[in-house]
Amino acid sequence: MKKFYIILTLGALVYTFSRCNKTGAFPDDGYDDRLSGGSFTTLDASTQAFKQAIDGLTDRQERVHTIGDGTFDQVFVAAPAPHFGGLGPVFNNISCINCHRNDGSGFPTTGASNSGLLMRISIPGQDEHGGPLAAPGFGLQIQDQALLGSAPEASINISYTDVPVTYPDGTIVTLRKPVYTVQNPYTSMPAGYMTSPRLAPRLIGMGLLENIPESTILSFVDAGDKNGDGITGKANYVYDPYTKNMEIGRFGVKANTSTLLMQVATAYQQDMGVTSFAQPLESAYGQSQFSTVGTGDTSPELVDSLLNYVTFYVQTLAVPARRDVLDSVNKRGATLFTQVNCAGCHRPTMQTGVNPAINLSSQRIHPYTDLLVHDMGEGLADNRPDYLATGREWRTSPLWGIGLLSKTNGGTAYYLHDGRARSVEEAILWHDGEAATSKQQFMQLSFVDRVALLQFISSL
Amino acid sequence: MKRVLYPAVIICGLALSACSKSSDSGSTQSFTSIETDVINDFVNKTALPQYNSLVSAGATLDNNITTLNTTTTDANLQTAQVSWKAMRQIWERGEGFLIGPVEGGDYDPNSDTWPTDYHQMDSLLASSNPLALSDVQSLPQTLRGYHPIEYLIFGEGGSRKASELDARKKKYLVSLSADLKSIVTALLNDWTANPVNYSNAVMTAGVSGNGTYAKRLDFFLDITGDNGMAGICNEVGQQNEDGKMWHPYLSKDSSLAESPYSGNSLADFKNNIIGAQQVYLGLGGGKGMKDLVAAKNKALDNKIQAAFTSAINSFDNISGSDNMRFEVAIYNRRPAIQAAATQLNTLQSLLENDLIDFIQTNVKD
Repeated sequence: MKKFYIILTLGALVYTFSRCNKTGAFPDDGYDDRLSGGSFTTLDASTQAFKQAIDGLTDRQERVHTIGDGTFDQVFVAAPAPHFGGLGPVFNNISCINCHRNDGSGFPTTGASNSGLLMRISIPGQDEHGGPLAAPGFGLQIQDQALLGSAPEASINISYTDVPVTYPDGTIVTLRKPVYTVQNPYTSMPAGYMTSPRLAPRLIGMGLLENIPESTILSFVDAGDKNGDGITGKANYVYDPYTKNMEIGRFGVKANTSTLLMQVATAYQQDMGVTSFAQPLESAYGQSQFSTVGTGDTSPELVDSLLNYVTFYVQTLAVPARRDVLDSVNKRGATLFTQVNCAGCHRPTMQTGVNPAINLSSQRIHPYTDLLVHDMGEGLADNRPDYLATGREWRTSPLWGIGLLSKTNGGTAYYLHDGRARSVEEAILWHDGEAATSKQQFMQLSFVDRVALLQFISSL
Repeated sequence: MKRVLYPAVIICGLALSACSKSSDSGSTQSFTSIETDVINDFVNKTALPQYNSLVSAGATLDNNITTLNTTTTDANLQTAQVSWKAMRQIWERGEGFLIGPVEGGDYDPNSDTWPTDYHQMDSLLASSNPLALSDVQSLPQTLRGYHPIEYLIFGEGGSRKASELDARKKKYLVSLSADLKSIVTALLNDWTANPVNYSNAVMTAGVSGNGTYAKRLDFFLDITGDNGMAGICNEVGQQNEDGKMWHPYLSKDSSLAESPYSGNSLADFKNNIIGAQQVYLGLGGGKGMKDLVAAKNKALDNKIQAAFTSAINSFDNISGSDNMRFEVAIYNRRPAIQAAATQLNTLQSLLENDLIDFIQTNVKD
């Protein structure tokens, strides 16, 4: 009888633990598909959808976010000035918001107040950390505007040629292939210089991407293509001049920046000529234009708190919720998205880590990226390596919020790293390399299914 | 039994349908019909008349600056100053609804960027730049629009004398005002003509194929939220370094005020809120958001209208009977500024919470 009770007790324990284990596996259909950013999701779908703060900020955090927002929108002027001085001497634009329209993407033009495209530059070789080698006289970015009395480094001319693409069903879509020409350099261009155009990206969900565990990103790598889908992927490892460490790259179209602090500080330094504690040298340091601001005062032009506030602002921008998730066409599109293996790189779902500084608990999110760089083929290649990313490799762009881009951008949206694509369909048709099979499968779809897939992407 | 039931059902149905039409305001107009009127009247009686007035005011300012250029007298300078303030009033009231082309077409940053880059302005005036219209239009936004004109015609503390306007300053002024006139003309054009035709986008809100406002709900939320009435209350009244009033107040620094040379900052703030109030009430005898709210919740309408009135009147306590400039009041009349900010916060809360909730609950199309 005693044995019976012991066996019964042990049996009860085994049963209890097995039940506990089962409750841990929360079914996928128990989640709300609209919550692209988990608890960092906003239901705002207006022109201001990319500018919404996450919920649950404390009074202090809300204040920091608001000041960061104001600083992000603030134009800078030439020093000396009582307020917001420090612009230049060379720069690409005068405020963050001028390129990141409504915190979204920009216009693929250069040299104007509403331009959102810039040109990176380097020469063959690598710096001491494996990064691009700065071009003498230009650094790592061409600043195409300057204060009066200073010389812009150069101007960038963009021209397009039509590239028709024909679907098997006879439908023709005309892509536009850009040609970039560096014009009117203030000094001679270095031999063998390489350039890479970059369109300002939308900023939503950056704080979530910063907190995806490195192990998660690495788990997406399929070195040697073991599953045979043609997709491998590679994590970029980059040098952070502030921490002085090599870290996994997450931000930028080549995943060449590891943290939002460095992303923001470098944008102020390179795009606006505004120095900070994290990027204390003028972009024109060592160049002839530097004499116009080289007064010997090396104190940061952006005070420490404001750099931190703008960083916090970007970290705490919410992700717009998906729209029309129950729509039957969207559901069909979602199935096709997986079927043609867009999801092989644009990974729909992952779990973030925890970061108390931005009130982030572990969140299930839907960024539609793997944060890896992939070979995207010759058509998109810039042939300019950036740390481990080759001239054909680009980071998988997060797709969340993509359907609202036109609305936040004044009615016209541009896609891909340089805005050459005027629609999501054009962007897909530019895919090649590791994405070639998926593109071919997309092109083989019926017109109705292609529309469904595109409509699904627009619901993100 | 059935014969008894059918009339009863019909009577009940009629009674319920009558209930749905009844409203706090006693109007018998259906809610969706009021929606239509509010949308159309917003375009035709609030937005377009204001933008038309803005174009006229821009032409007047431009004419007066042209006259000042040819006949540079203190009287003509004063005329230019008056016309700048008149244009500014219309512009600031238009900021009560920053939807559509004014932001999307960059008309706001191209004409109303702050601060002005005075250091570069000195360089520009000392340079050989021809300062023709096309030259000014290619300058950074910090050297275009209202505030460089303000600095040139008002000067430090509003003390500008006509004799201080040399040939280069006048050449710059002439191109600045021509540029400003061109900007507001293009803004109106974006509301009335293709390819943008924003009037059409608003008036067809909810119609299939409308890429701007797929639902009428989207329009009402836009006109009320961050880009609309609540947004401008936040911009003026938020109590932090990003607030138009609060930043100079907190820093006790008049140079942080919006229009320090003309002393027009307080008028700017007040006109911003009047602009939002005009969206709420409607202009020119047309319907406004108030009609939508009053149809279902007269108590809420009363609260919002009262909050608008209190907020707008609170600016008068800052200027006081001695017509004190905001740039002075930040030192000498601080409690009144605090009180105005509180009134604006109350109004903003009503708009972004109660009114947004009302819209989301009641607008179904």
